[in-house]
Amino acid sequence: MLQAENTLFTITLIGYFALTALNFAFVILKKETLVKTAFCLQAGVLLLHTAALILRGIGAGHWPMTNQYEFATSFAWALCLVSLIFIRKYRFPVLGAFSSPLILLMIGYASMQNREVRELMPSLRSSWLAFHVSTAIIAYGSFGVAFVLSLIFLFRDRMNEDGFWGQHIPQQEKLDIISYRSVCLGMLFLTLTILTGAIWAEQAWGSYWSWDPKETWSLVTWIIYAIYLHQRLRRGWKGKAAAWFAVIGFICVIFTYIGVNTFLPGIHSYA
Amino acid sequence: MKKIGRFLSSMPFAIGLLVLLAAACAFSSAVTQGQTYEYYTAQYGERTAGLIMALRLDDAYHSWWFIGLSAFLCLNLLCCNLIRLPVLLKRIRAFSEPDAAVSANAAAEAEGRGDVLKLFTALHMPKPHEGRDGLLYAARNRAGFWGAWVCHLGILMLILGFALGQVTMKQYTVYALPGQTKEIGDSGLTVTVDDFRISRTENGSVQQYMADLTVVDPVSGKQETGMAGVNAPANLFGYKFYQNSVGWGADVRVLENGKELQTEMLCVGEYFAVKDKPELVIFFQNFYPDYVSQAGSASQELKNPGYIYQAYYRGQILGMNVLLNGEVLTIDEYTVIFENPRNYTLLAVKRDGFAWLVLLGGLIVLAGLVLAFWIQPRTVCAVRQEEGWHVYGQCRKGGALFREEFLSAAEETGFRPCEKTEIKGEDV
Repeated sequence: MLQAENTLFTITLIGYFALTALNFAFVILKKETLVKTAFCLQAGVLLLHTAALILRGIGAGHWPMTNQYEFATSFAWALCLVSLIFIRKYRFPVLGAFSSPLILLMIGYASMQNREVRELMPSLRSSWLAFHVSTAIIAYGSFGVAFVLSLIFLFRDRMNEDGFWGQHIPQQEKLDIISYRSVCLGMLFLTLTILTGAIWAEQAWGSYWSWDPKETWSLVTWIIYAIYLHQRLRRGWKGKAAAWFAVIGFICVIFTYIGVNTFLPGIHSYA
Repeated sequence: MKKIGRFLSSMPFAIGLLVLLAAACAFSSAVTQGQTYEYYTAQYGERTAGLIMALRLDDAYHSWWFIGLSAFLCLNLLCCNLIRLPVLLKRIRAFSEPDAAVSANAAAEAEGRGDVLKLFTALHMPKPHEGRDGLLYAARNRAGFWGAWVCHLGILMLILGFALGQVTMKQYTVYALPGQTKEIGDSGLTVTVDDFRISRTENGSVQQYMADLTVVDPVSGKQETGMAGVNAPANLFGYKFYQNSVGWGADVRVLENGKELQTEMLCVGEYFAVKDKPELVIFFQNFYPDYVSQAGSASQELKNPGYIYQAYYRGQILGMNVLLNGEVLTIDEYTVIFENPRNYTLLAVKRDGFAWLVLLGGLIVLAGLVLAFWIQPRTVCAVRQEEGWHVYGQCRKGGALFREEFLSAAEETGFRPCEKTEIKGEDV
């Protein structure tokens, strides 16, 4: 089972690479058919990726979200899923061209991690694991898409309105609201992550909040996005300022995921 | 007074507090918490260590400044919710009034002889009400107005519950070998570990630790029993018993001239004084389940037990060594035997009377976020004109997306878009 997962993961990795190359070709050649093909390819790679995750779960005997490799591959999967949903919902196919490099980076990071399946420690043998980590993955995926949208927003005013990009990338006002929707989705799931984590920690360790670095940085991320949401209510803070906040927020997300594990070990050290 | 209230409930004050709290959390996470001055000196040098101690960065999350920031945040949330409540109620009432809907800055407008009822349906609006002069209007999702208010209320409850829990929480640590009875701090209760088991997978890794417990209230004589496992605390006498850790222990027998004198159940790190000769103390320093000379323990399996002991007489060390299975320690007429090694359980015992408030607060925050983000209040209003209808649409938090949806529905139902309308006021 794990051998099959390994093969599927490699095919998925190649798929994401091909997707990024196709999107790069679209950016250079500006041919609309390429972006349509890229959308179909992204959907296909997502299916393969889903199959790889299912096989990993069956082979490991637990939800594939318990170490750096499993979380990174799930993070890439969520990025791919959320970006596909946003492409379809907001009829914005070019989003795929900008989100695919981020997905490739994440799956590339996953491929560099140790793929060995390890037995779970007793505290991880809980049904809360699935809720806690899957909500985190969706939250991170949504923040990732908001990050990409904010970058597009920041570069949008450099694009000629009548040119190719001016026609294929929505107005800044629309980009801003789509990015906001993505942050909203992330914020809801991050709150769920923190809440389910607190309930689980209370059961496992007897304390729903221990100021562990991972917990603290999740709170910092939550606060950054809370500031983003509040700032948008103030006149003159929508648009560029909000886009910068979404970028800072995603840097916090990445630090919470990778930086905390590397520099600030705590009770989440296995993650 | 009004000015102070307005400042305390203001958005810039809230944002300032959030920035400070985020910075405080981020900075404090980089400083190892709960260490001594000596530790910080070794890590960062004397000057920084002095600064850490002076600013209470060694216990940042319980420091006066962190508590102060949290208290101000609570005050801000409270003032904000109190001041906003009447404004909010007024706004919700006004939202479904046709006059207000027409006079409000519409997010989008269309006009023409199209089918106005179809447009209401296309915009997922309920059946419109008829106002004066044949005006049609409908509003939905007014609950969405409550989102931020409910979210603030939840955060307030969460912080309050956490703070009250920290102040009133009772927590103890008890460790005991199977068969041992221990007092639970000053709770007036005792706990007996009836049994302690470790279940393992086929590969030998630990699957679960399980401790069967009996808790007794000696005053009333009542007793309750339960099992504490990892992720499955036992709830006895209103306290939660968490299976937190394990360690090794053993029975230590003392013979005096070959006759049984006493038997003690000892966990690693414990000591006892010999009966009739309290100056003689035996300290169980460490235990190796699979003892290998010089290497300590080769594994965690109980294959070749090695007991590290220290013996003291009147505070002076007599000696320390390793005793393997079958080996005994002889001091004058006393013989000390370590045997029957087994795991002890370390239990965390807690009672937090306000955890429910934190959970409720968390759920209310979630409900608030759903209301704020996904329940978007929208109103559509149609005014009869000579050439047909003039239709206004408004959706809070909809922005450009609502305008797109509105104009697309309007065109589908036979209307033409009016000139682009500016959205003023709060849209998000």
